[in-house]
Amino acid sequence: MNSIIGIAVKDIKTFFREKGTIFWTIAFPVMILLLFTAIFGREIPFSANVGIVNEDGQTSITESIISGLNNTGFLTLKSFANRTDAFHDLNATNVRAVLIIPQGFTQSLIMGRSNVSLVVDGTNPDVARLIDDGIRTFFTEYYKQFNPNYAEPIMVSTEISVVGEKVGYKENIVPGMLTYPLLFSSMVVSTGAIVFEREKGTLKKIRASPIHPINMLLGKTFAALVQTVISIVVMAVLAAVLLGPKLTWNVPLLIPIFFLGSMNGIALGLIISCIGRAPQEASNAATTIAIVLQFFTGMYFPIDYLPTYMQQIGRMIPMTYAAQALRDIMIRNATLSDLFLPMATLSMSAIILYGIGVLLYRRWVEK
Amino acid sequence: MIIEVEDLAKHYGEVKAVDGVSFSVEEGEIFGLLGPNGAGKTTLMEILCGLRRVDRGKVTIHGYNLARDSPKVRASIGFCPQETLLYDLLTVRENFAFAASLYSLSSKRFKERIEFSCKVLGVEEFLNRRVQQLSGGMKRRANLAASIIHDPPLVILDEPTVGFDPNVKREFWELIKNLKSYGKTVLLSTHDMYEADEICDRVAIMERGKIVALDKPYVLKETIGGEPSIHVKVKDSQIRRALSTLKGYSSTLKDDEIQVFAPNPWEIMAEVSNKLNLQGVLVEKIEIVEPTLEDVFLKLTGRKLTEVPQ
Repeated sequence: MNSIIGIAVKDIKTFFREKGTIFWTIAFPVMILLLFTAIFGREIPFSANVGIVNEDGQTSITESIISGLNNTGFLTLKSFANRTDAFHDLNATNVRAVLIIPQGFTQSLIMGRSNVSLVVDGTNPDVARLIDDGIRTFFTEYYKQFNPNYAEPIMVSTEISVVGEKVGYKENIVPGMLTYPLLFSSMVVSTGAIVFEREKGTLKKIRASPIHPINMLLGKTFAALVQTVISIVVMAVLAAVLLGPKLTWNVPLLIPIFFLGSMNGIALGLIISCIGRAPQEASNAATTIAIVLQFFTGMYFPIDYLPTYMQQIGRMIPMTYAAQALRDIMIRNATLSDLFLPMATLSMSAIILYGIGVLLYRRWVEK
Repeated sequence: MIIEVEDLAKHYGEVKAVDGVSFSVEEGEIFGLLGPNGAGKTTLMEILCGLRRVDRGKVTIHGYNLARDSPKVRASIGFCPQETLLYDLLTVRENFAFAASLYSLSSKRFKERIEFSCKVLGVEEFLNRRVQQLSGGMKRRANLAASIIHDPPLVILDEPTVGFDPNVKREFWELIKNLKSYGKTVLLSTHDMYEADEICDRVAIMERGKIVALDKPYVLKETIGGEPSIHVKVKDSQIRRALSTLKGYSSTLKDDEIQVFAPNPWEIMAEVSNKLNLQGVLVEKIEIVEPTLEDVFLKLTGRKLTEVPQ
C-alpha cells in the first residue's frame, strides 16, 4: 500500500511540475470549451427518429401525411398506438420527438383548418429546432400540393418535453465538455505515465525493487484518476462560472459516471503505452485516438448529425454512453434506475479494457 | 557468500550474452566485472537484479534463490544502473522518498537513511534541490544514495563512473570504498582497468559472455600479465645505436620505446642507463613498467579492452 501511495504521490507531484502535461490536461480542454461555445449554432444535416401517434385512424390524408414524412429523408418514423408509449420512448431518448395526429384531424381539415401536436425532446436544442423546423416546413409544402392558394391550414403546435423549459446550447454542451477529460486527459495521462518511466529508464529501477508490477500499475492508475478528477473539477467550475448553465449537479450520480469513464480512458491509455514502441509514437497515438473518438461520442454535437454508419460506430464506443449519461443526469434529471445501461456498459468495457491492459503490461514487463 | 552464480546462461537468438558463467562473491568485498562493451556485464547484472529471465543456471543472493524468491532477492539489492534514474522535476529528498516507498520503509527508518546518505555520500548540500538543477557528479551521488536508501547488503553498480572526469571519478571511488567500510558488498561492472585495479578486491574478466579469468587484480597481473620491464625512450635517430648497445639483454622496440626484459628489472635499470650514456645515447625517459589489467586482457583475448568485439 505504501508503495502504491508512493508512486501516486510522485506522479502527482511530477504532474504539477510538468508544464506540458498541465497544458494537455487542463488548458487544452478549456480552450476547446471556449471554442465550441463560440461556434454555437451551426446547422448540420442530420436524421432523427420521430414517433408518430395517429389518433385519427387510417384515412387517405393521414396515410398520405405519414408516407410524406417518411419520404423527407431526415426523419425515421416509428408508430405508436398511444401517447403513453410514445412519451415513454421520448423520455428514453429512443425518439427525438413525437408527432400526434389528433382524433378528428381529417374532418377538421376538410372543414378548412386542423392541428397536429409536436412534442420535442428539448435537451438538445439543435436537434429540437431542426425537427421542429423540418416538420413545419413539411406541412406547409405538403398542403401546397393540393391547394397552392390556401396557406397553412394545418397548424403545428410545438411543446418542449422532458425539462419543461427550453434548454439552451450551453446546457447541452457542458455535460459534453465534461466528457472530454474522461476521454482525453485520462488516456493521455495514463499513456504518458508508463511511457515516461520507460523512456527515462526509471522503470528499470522500479522493476528492480520488490514491488509487484500490478502495484505499480495501481499506483499509476490512481495518479491518472486524480489528474483526471482535477481536470474535471477545473472544467466544471469554469463552465459553471463562465456559462452559468441551468443544470442538475447530482454529484452522487455523476461520480460513478466520471469514475467509470475515466477508467475506460486510463485503460485505453495503458493499452496504447504497452503497444507503442517509442514514447512519441504512443503519445501521438493516444492524442489522435482521443481526437477522433470525440466526434463519434456526441460530446459536442448529437450523434444524430453523423451518417448512420458512423452513428453505429459511436454506439459501440463506451464514452458515448458516458456523454449521454452525463446529459441524462444534468439535463433530464435522470435517476439511478435510468442509468443502468450506461453504467453497465461503462463497467463492462472498463473491466475488459483494463484487463487487456494488465495482460499487455505484464507481458511487456516480463520480456 | 552473498552471491553464488552457477552455470548462468542468457541467449538472444544466436548471441550468447551470458554463456555458462559461474562465480561467487564474499560478503564485504568489492567485486568487479571487467570487460569491453558487449562482454555481457550489464546483462549479467540485470539478471542478478531480477530484470531479465535466464535460459539456464542458478543464482543465489543473500541466501535466496533468485528463481523462487525474486522479491526477497530484489529487496537485498541496491541497483544503480549507469543512467541517472532520478525524476528531474522532484527534489533529491522527494526522489529518496519515492525510492523508499518502493521498499516500504517506515518514516523513522527513512530519516535514518537520509542521515546516512548525507554523512556517507555527501548529499546534504543538495537534498532539497530539484534534480534538474544538479551537476553531473551530484546527480550520480544522489542516484547512488537513492539506490541504497533501503540499506541493502549488496550494492550493484553498472559502470558507475562512465563519463566522469578523473577528479570526480576518484571522488566516486572513495564513496564506493566508504560503502565497503560500512559492511556493504559491492558488485560493479567497468571497462576501466584502472578503476578495477584501484577499488576491486577481486576482478572477473568477461569476454563474449564468459568469465575468462577471476582473481585479485595483483594476482591476475602477476600470473597472466607478465613480468615488469624497463621502457627506454631515446631520440628516433639514436634508436638503432641504443638497440645495438643493449644487444646483450632481451630487448625489443615497441611503439617508439625500447623494452628490456629481465627477471628483476630494478637490479639492471641503472646498468642499462649507464651503458647507453657511455655509447653517447641520450636517454629521454627510462622507467619500469608493471603489467596492467589491460595487459592481462590482451594476453587472454588478443585484443584491447577498448576494442569493440567483431
